[in-house]
Amino acid sequence: MNVSVEGAFVYFVIPIFGGIPITQTTVSSLVVTIVLCTAGILLGRRLTKRPGGVQVLVEKAVGMLYNLVSETMGPHNTYWAPYIGTVFLSSICGTLIGMTGFLRSTTADLSTTLTWAVMTSVIIWYNSIKRNGFIGWLKGFTEPVAVMTPMNIVSEIAQPVSMAFRLFGNVMGGGVITSVLYAALSTASAAVLNLIAGNGLLVCLIVTGMGIAGLAVSLKKKKKLIWKLLSLVLAVVGALALLQYFGVASNIPILQIGLPAVLSLYFDLFSGLIQAFVFCLLSMVYISSACPAPEEAEQ
Amino acid sequence: MGEFESLVGVNFWTALFTLINMILTFAILAKFLFKPVKKMIDDRQREIDDQYAQADAAQREAQRLQAEYTDKLSTARQTGEQIVKEATVRAQDRTDQILRQANQEAEAILEKAQADIALEKKKAVNDAKNEISGLAMAIAGKVVGRELTAQDQTDLVDRFIEGLGDAL
Repeated sequence: MNVSVEGAFVYFVIPIFGGIPITQTTVSSLVVTIVLCTAGILLGRRLTKRPGGVQVLVEKAVGMLYNLVSETMGPHNTYWAPYIGTVFLSSICGTLIGMTGFLRSTTADLSTTLTWAVMTSVIIWYNSIKRNGFIGWLKGFTEPVAVMTPMNIVSEIAQPVSMAFRLFGNVMGGGVITSVLYAALSTASAAVLNLIAGNGLLVCLIVTGMGIAGLAVSLKKKKKLIWKLLSLVLAVVGALALLQYFGVASNIPILQIGLPAVLSLYFDLFSGLIQAFVFCLLSMVYISSACPAPEEAEQ
Repeated sequence: MGEFESLVGVNFWTALFTLINMILTFAILAKFLFKPVKKMIDDRQREIDDQYAQADAAQREAQRLQAEYTDKLSTARQTGEQIVKEATVRAQDRTDQILRQANQEAEAILEKAQADIALEKKKAVNDAKNEISGLAMAIAGKVVGRELTAQDQTDLVDRFIEGLGDAL
């Protein structure tokens, strides 16, 4: 069984400017943008001094965002909160959109994450130049000693690259592991079904019977959940083996049900949230170091 | 059928679209969600702070007024007591004064009366003395048969009176 891990699928190419490819990422990105903008406009409408249920939640979330930004970047940098919030929401929605199944996560494409990381870097450079002047910014690379200049330049370039690859690698890695798992489970279920069906009708019947009997007993005696599940798997596998024996169906990847959902919970949901948070946190730290408090800047 | 992009690679157009989408999302979220909500939160916070400040001020004012009124009330009570006390004292003084005056007047009247009595008595005695002496002289003239000199007469009368005075 071949497992092929590819980049975003190119739906079609618009034949102008030497061909503009419309990929899965492009579509997902557009969907995320539309969803976020619509949700933002809907949630930000009709704000009242005495908030209703939805407004309380929205205010809580926005308040938490502003608090986080204020604590991480300092009170003078609170105006960055909308940018950080946008990156966070885009990252989360971009990752979670992969769970729909037919759209690909935007963050599983290096084009997206690198754009965001470079965006943050450009903001940092812009602020450094605005504060120190262009010459002062260039001089900053020679600190603390001139010998460090190449390393400072490398670290300046490594910063967006590492940010981009961290987010991309985590989401992509999750996707790769999920597809590998699906392939492995498909192979495994084919092997099991072949093994049972290949040994004749009697074995199929015995496996099915054992499964049904086990299920009945565990239901009646109220055994633990694990016994019920095992018996259920046994019964279903036996039944499918019977079907395969009579040539009705073949190689149904029955084992793909269940386990991937648990892993998806981790790789898509948990990892997506954490990586979005990490990305924003790093952005905040880098930007705040470029925008120190007014009193610190004078020293 | 299209084809797949390479797994690790950057597509310029995708990056550009991502950037445009990001800027669009940022602009819309900032304008319609983050800033209005933040403004609403801040406004409400300010309003609450204002109201608390006003309530505090009102409470302080009320306490100040209460203290002031309590103060005034106790001052008024003290003043009242003072007035009553003074009035009592004055009344007492006046009473004493009137009594004293009355006593004095009574005493004066009494003394005058006594003096009058004494004067009247002396006058009466003198009158009686003169009467008696006249009478005695007339009697004695008859008895002696001659006119007594004025000197004899006076001596006689005086001796008689002195003897009479003991009896009086």
